[in-house]
Amino acid sequence: MTPSAPVAFPDIQWLQLAPIIVVLGAAAIEVLVEAFAPRTSRRSIQIGLTFAALIVAFAIIVINAGTFQLVVAGSAAVDGPALFLQGAVVLTALLVALLMMERKVDPSGDAFAARASAMPGSEDERQFTARGYLQTEIWPLFLFCTGGMMLFLSANDLLLMFIGLEIMSLPLYLLAGMARRRRLLSQEAAMKYFLLGAFSSAFFLYGAALIYGFAGTVSFGGIADAVVGQSQMSGLLLGGIVLLCVGMFFKVAAVPFHEWAPDVYQGSPTPVTAYMAAGVKVAAFGAFLRLMYVAFGGEAWEWRPAFWVVAILTFFVGAMIGLAQSDIKRMLAYSSIAHAGFLLLGVMAVTPDSLSASMFYLLTYAIATVGAFGIVMLIRDDSGETTSLDAWRGLGRTHPLLATAFTIFLLSFAGIPLTAGFIGKFTLFASSAAAGEGWLVLLAVIASAIAAFFYLRVVVIMFFSDPVGSGPSVATPSWATQTTIVVALIVTVVLGLFPQAVLNIADHADVFVR
Amino acid sequence: MDPSAYIILSAILFTIGAIGVLLRRNAIVVFMSVEMMLNAANLAFVTFARMHGNLEGQVIAFFVMIVAAAEVVVGLAIIMTIFRTRRSVSIDDPSLMRN
Amino acid sequence: MGILSLLILVPLIGSAVVAFVPASPTRSKQLALAFTVVTFVVAVVAYLQFSPGGEQFQLVESYQWIPALGVTFSLGVDGLGLVLVFLATLLTPLVILAGWNDVEDAQAQNGDSQSEGQVRGYFGLMLLLLAMTLTLFTALDVFLFYFLFEAVLIPVYFMIGRYGVGRRSYAAVKFLVFSLSGGLVMLAGLAVLWYVSAQITGEPTLYLPELIDIDIDPTVQTWIFWAFFIAFAIKAPLWPVTTWLPDAAGSSTPGTAILLIGVLDKLGSFGMLRFCLPLFPDAAESAAPVIIVLSLISIFYGGLIAIGQTDMKRMIGYISISHFGFIILGIFVFTSEGQVGSSFYMLGHGLSTALLFMVVGYMIARRKTSTIAEYHGLSTPTPLLAGMLLFAGLTALALPGMSTFISEFLVLLGSFTRVPWVGAVATLGIILAAVYILLFYQNTMTGKVTEKNKNLKDLNLRERVALAPLVVVVVVLGFYPAPVLNVLNPYVDDVMAQVGATDPPPTVPLATGVQP
Repeated sequence: MTPSAPVAFPDIQWLQLAPIIVVLGAAAIEVLVEAFAPRTSRRSIQIGLTFAALIVAFAIIVINAGTFQLVVAGSAAVDGPALFLQGAVVLTALLVALLMMERKVDPSGDAFAARASAMPGSEDERQFTARGYLQTEIWPLFLFCTGGMMLFLSANDLLLMFIGLEIMSLPLYLLAGMARRRRLLSQEAAMKYFLLGAFSSAFFLYGAALIYGFAGTVSFGGIADAVVGQSQMSGLLLGGIVLLCVGMFFKVAAVPFHEWAPDVYQGSPTPVTAYMAAGVKVAAFGAFLRLMYVAFGGEAWEWRPAFWVVAILTFFVGAMIGLAQSDIKRMLAYSSIAHAGFLLLGVMAVTPDSLSASMFYLLTYAIATVGAFGIVMLIRDDSGETTSLDAWRGLGRTHPLLATAFTIFLLSFAGIPLTAGFIGKFTLFASSAAAGEGWLVLLAVIASAIAAFFYLRVVVIMFFSDPVGSGPSVATPSWATQTTIVVALIVTVVLGLFPQAVLNIADHADVFVR
Repeated sequence: MDPSAYIILSAILFTIGAIGVLLRRNAIVVFMSVEMMLNAANLAFVTFARMHGNLEGQVIAFFVMIVAAAEVVVGLAIIMTIFRTRRSVSIDDPSLMRN
Repeated sequence: MGILSLLILVPLIGSAVVAFVPASPTRSKQLALAFTVVTFVVAVVAYLQFSPGGEQFQLVESYQWIPALGVTFSLGVDGLGLVLVFLATLLTPLVILAGWNDVEDAQAQNGDSQSEGQVRGYFGLMLLLLAMTLTLFTALDVFLFYFLFEAVLIPVYFMIGRYGVGRRSYAAVKFLVFSLSGGLVMLAGLAVLWYVSAQITGEPTLYLPELIDIDIDPTVQTWIFWAFFIAFAIKAPLWPVTTWLPDAAGSSTPGTAILLIGVLDKLGSFGMLRFCLPLFPDAAESAAPVIIVLSLISIFYGGLIAIGQTDMKRMIGYISISHFGFIILGIFVFTSEGQVGSSFYMLGHGLSTALLFMVVGYMIARRKTSTIAEYHGLSTPTPLLAGMLLFAGLTALALPGMSTFISEFLVLLGSFTRVPWVGAVATLGIILAAVYILLFYQNTMTGKVTEKNKNLKDLNLRERVALAPLVVVVVVLGFYPAPVLNVLNPYVDDVMAQVGATDPPPTVPLATGVQP
């Protein structure tokens, strides 16, 4: 064995890393706030810090636009896709944070349990609720999660990607279990999410180990060189790709690794569900795209057939099982599964066009998703939020504006023109056809047609069904939720009619640094 | 010494872990199985590090240990809250989820 | 800003004004009427600016829209587009006038309570539909066309589902699912076309005049052709994807039905002529035999089922299926007579459908039901209504002297010259038309008047004013079709040239079977 070279201390590119540092740093400070600030002022400090961190991070991302380099000895990348998707994540986080601070729709507080440690149904819990306690630990968890997402999608080696994945996932497991109402369901969701999430991370990690065994390095550039240099497919490489992809398929909820999504979406507090559906999807696909394009792009024809199968299964299962759902959150979960299937088209195409198309798609999908969940929060009954579709009957008659807004989000999911979802779908499908996958596009549009049917079902329920009893009961939200819904609506419509500006940005950000 | 024996051992550990996750019904045992999978990966990293003669794999093993520790904290917290409510950690108990 | 953008902008602004300015129902209707009349005037100006036989696409305007995708906002008309713009702008004000009380009637039929804002919503949607339809007929960019082809489903969906009668939500969803499925298949075709254009010209473009010039590989053509054709066949509709139409017709208000079937469904046959033939000539030619057979089936399927209908609006729906069969047949026999006939037929069918639905709408407004059996002997209390129904029926069965006669004659002539047996079979369809129209007239209008129908009032001034322009147009074009044929003939010559088809030499003895 040759003696190893001494480990050189790498240069740290502070400005390029600043968005992540700001967010994670603010999260750390929030932990201190949690320990030292008096209870009365804690919540406002946390919220202020969270928004400040997100806005500063976004500003730095904008300043960094055009950067195209590897940082910290090549283990992270700051390039077009990373910045674009980090921007998307931060925007999503801002909208979700507004949903998290909403405290007018539930008479007893926000969407989170007063004390997560109090047992459901116990005397403690009743007292905490009666005193109007609000949990403030959610804010540092939320920022850690956001920082993890940003790290995840700019990681340029398998180790950092794994760490980003965990920083993103661990806080989410906790947040999933903190719903104020229906706490058992929420805790169950948290456990399910945690166990399956940890299981998938283990797959990812073992895949990383095999790839390391194959290439002798975990940096994507090194792996790509090793992949191109080999003469025949090695067992280690193949096994590594398979296990890494299994881990990723879990995170993006692709069939057959999607089972957790509906349960977890249903049980989690709605703002957290929104973040899972929007933020995690952006981050996980961002990382997935980088992994497959940079590290394994040279071997695309080897792994593509497996992706065909997974993609086809994913969009068809998502669309068809979604049809049978009677719960709006479960329905949106299957919708997100179907969208994951479409996005896999972008992952397997491995062309700059499909990269920019996927990024645009992710952005539009994420924003519309947050908006839709913002509306889901408002439909309530005595026991809190009611997600049964029956409660939506006649919403179009009693609350036409709200129903119209929700319809626009659904139309965007269905990819109908006038909404951003259509432009996203068109660019994605066109780039996929250009990559020679025309037949797959045909199957994808058939699945979209099926999926459109279940979005329409909701529109029918809202507009053409008679209200049950006195009609849906809709909480009046504060400015925070209203802002989220309105911003999401504006973005969805404007990107549907005039997408040029954002498409341009995505087009200029269509190459990964390696 | 043939390092490939360690790789085979790690693969066996990983498989045992995966089978444990799929078959066992006690959340704690499932969780332990996951940890076993992580440790199998660690063993593989360290062995490969030796085979390739660089330090990366060993460094990674340290990171993984730390991540695993964090995962234990989060995981046990979640499992404990459920245990306190339900007095059971079986993941087979009647589920509230409408599957 | 060119005349065509103005044409679109007027109803678009109108729709916002009508929908959102709080006004009494009557005032909203007046506003809607005013906006549509202005639109019609703009359309007439556009017609006068058009020079027949000049460039294929005229009054062209083009604006940057999404350069990243090579997509422009381009408008322009050819002969067919112009004729359909005329049809749409003519019918909409008349529909508003004839359907003045559509919303209230539908509410009475459904037993709904009156609610504030219903009228504003209905007429606002109607204007929005007009604006979108006009954009579709003038779109020169395939992307723009597709964009609206899908978007236009939204207003129609709500017009049926929200303001319709009977099983309206079922009908609305069925309509949407059919159209959307077709549209999404077309999206796949559009994606491939976009890519192919990028490959051939270097830059992706979906600008129609440029696309016409590029030569696409025949295999790829076949794929894209079918993707487009399926969408258009659902719209037009062609057997076997017709089942949504009778439901939509049966559950719509008469006004919605006119705009949907009389105007919007023309997009199907319009799209075939404007996109399928020029862009994919080889594929169109090889697909023609299949399509001709399907259209023959449509002619008979629609006609036969129309005879057995118990609901007036559904019956007109089936009649339309039969007529669309003729239109599509004329397109795919690849003769200039056939295609001129089809183009003219689109106008004629719009007029005859409008006439039928208007008269039927008047009957429904009086009795609040659309069941045929409820009506009997109406010619006694309401002679004018009965006369108008007869006129409308004769227009639909293409009696000589009506504009529809010329178009049907041309389609049959075109079929005979290309494939004689097809012409012969199609001619039999005319007999069916006589059967269903005359039976319908006989059942509802003749005989002894029943108790319930005894005290019905005849047409009032508003109803007559709405019908009069249609009657005039149908008769004038029946005797003097030149204003329309002048713009359609050069248009069809262009299309035939793009397809590379020539008329067969007149060896087939014309005299054998032309008995319209």
